[in-house]
Amino acid sequence: MPDPLSSDSNSPAPPAASATFRANPALSPAVVGLGITEMGKVYGRTAPDFAADAVRRAVADAGLRTADLDGLLINSGVRNDLGLELARDLDLRDLRLLDYLQGYGSSAGAMVSFASLAVSSGLATTVACVFADAPLREGRGTGAAYAARKPPSGFDGLLVDAGLASVNARYALAARRHMTTYGTTSEQLGAVAVAQRGWAVRNPLAQLRTPITLADHQASRMIADPLHLLDCCLVSNGGIAVVVTTAERARDLAQPPVHVKGFAQAHPGYPDAGDSAFGLVSGAARSGPAALAMAGASIEDVDVAELYDCYTFTALLSVEDYGFCAKGEGGAFAESGALGPGGGRTAFNTGGGQLSSYYMWGMTPLSEAVIQARGQGGERQAPRNDLVLVSGNGGVLDHHSTLLLSPHAGS
Amino acid sequence: MPIARDAASAEFFDGTARGELLLRRCTGCGRISAPQARQCPDCAATEFTPAPASGAATLVSWAVPHDREGRPLTVAALVELAEGPWLRLRLTGVAEPAADLSAGLPLTVSFEAVADGETVPVVSVAREGRHETVDRIPAPQEGPTP
Repeated sequence: MPDPLSSDSNSPAPPAASATFRANPALSPAVVGLGITEMGKVYGRTAPDFAADAVRRAVADAGLRTADLDGLLINSGVRNDLGLELARDLDLRDLRLLDYLQGYGSSAGAMVSFASLAVSSGLATTVACVFADAPLREGRGTGAAYAARKPPSGFDGLLVDAGLASVNARYALAARRHMTTYGTTSEQLGAVAVAQRGWAVRNPLAQLRTPITLADHQASRMIADPLHLLDCCLVSNGGIAVVVTTAERARDLAQPPVHVKGFAQAHPGYPDAGDSAFGLVSGAARSGPAALAMAGASIEDVDVAELYDCYTFTALLSVEDYGFCAKGEGGAFAESGALGPGGGRTAFNTGGGQLSSYYMWGMTPLSEAVIQARGQGGERQAPRNDLVLVSGNGGVLDHHSTLLLSPHAGS
Repeated sequence: MPIARDAASAEFFDGTARGELLLRRCTGCGRISAPQARQCPDCAATEFTPAPASGAATLVSWAVPHDREGRPLTVAALVELAEGPWLRLRLTGVAEPAADLSAGLPLTVSFEAVADGETVPVVSVAREGRHETVDRIPAPQEGPTP
């Protein structure tokens, strides 16, 4: 089986940042604020509106004022309509760190990584990381929100001619390859959707809270065979921000600190040739072990895993790549009920994920992870939360980030 | 939907108009890459000469996007050419629900002229004994279109 991601070439060394954190625990990073705006079919507000709202909420949640921020990291959604002007909208002065980054669904993890490096190195003390998007328009279908907006030309035109203009169809190609290689079935993908709806039922923040069955999944209309409607995430208008500061500063703030224990990225760069692992192995196979090494933990230590789930398939593939089950056995793992409430040792996607709660790119798993690490999950709170994994995924399985969070300081 | 060429694809679409699928052969090491390659994956060279594909391919994966009424729109195929590179092309001549498809299925490249646009390569399931041949259609007439 082609599996360049797990080959022994270019194996990542544990990031040097771990040594920095251990050398000075006072400067180790922690998430201290979480801001979630009104979410879903919320019309009449732009992405910059949602972003500023999210930052104000995150700062207030931490017990801080916006003027306390000296760093701001920004990630815009599909419309690319969010930029450095946000600092002006928030009336921020004398920022020591201001940047925009784009790794699609891996961006939230990347922003927290860079904010962590910034506060632990003294570059800044208090950094907000924000994502916002407003692709939904009143009276238009959600499909239109992510539809291509210009006529095809050149090689991109061939993709459109092939029927691959939509991200749905491109993920369907990936899912089909996994299905024909490992025997993964549509019903097993459906088990992911059913399990996550089971969590969403318990999450007051979730947009879809009516329980579903496997039969509902199978009967839902086909979007891009093999993916049904219930294999696909929501589309949401809204914004989410977090505030990162040092462990020392976190002690005096309003919320229980959520310590950042490890982080890593991986961008596989699949070749368009026969040795490509496209659809079979994602970057999580690399970012997971690297982040765990930085945290000094193993996958068996993970109590809660918040996995990126733009599609059921993405979550299923991530479960394999992180090593919660063997490669190729994600389908059987999902079918066993391990992903639903009361499923097993690790609690997965406890808020309902992007499939059922809200779609804020990497901020969906990150926000639920912060809630779980704080022990504020209410009816959906996992019984153990000592180590919480956050997985980001961008492009068509092209970009991955992993974070490891914990309510506990120290190693 | 008609496709317009751009500078990067002009040579490629000159090829499709002649019934040729042009890959890129690295002038440094000879490796054959996909038509849109910018750099040789083996030696990082950026000079290529055009290399017509044989037209033989196999199916790697496929997807069937549907419209809102649940009707299949097309069969999108990820194919591996005999020369190595992968392409994403429309798979023609397959009856829904495409149940007869399987990974590794032999395919053949052919070409479809599109009104007001460039000629596009497509694939179909290879018939017995015809794997090496390429279905060709007459090149579209030069000149202004109505």
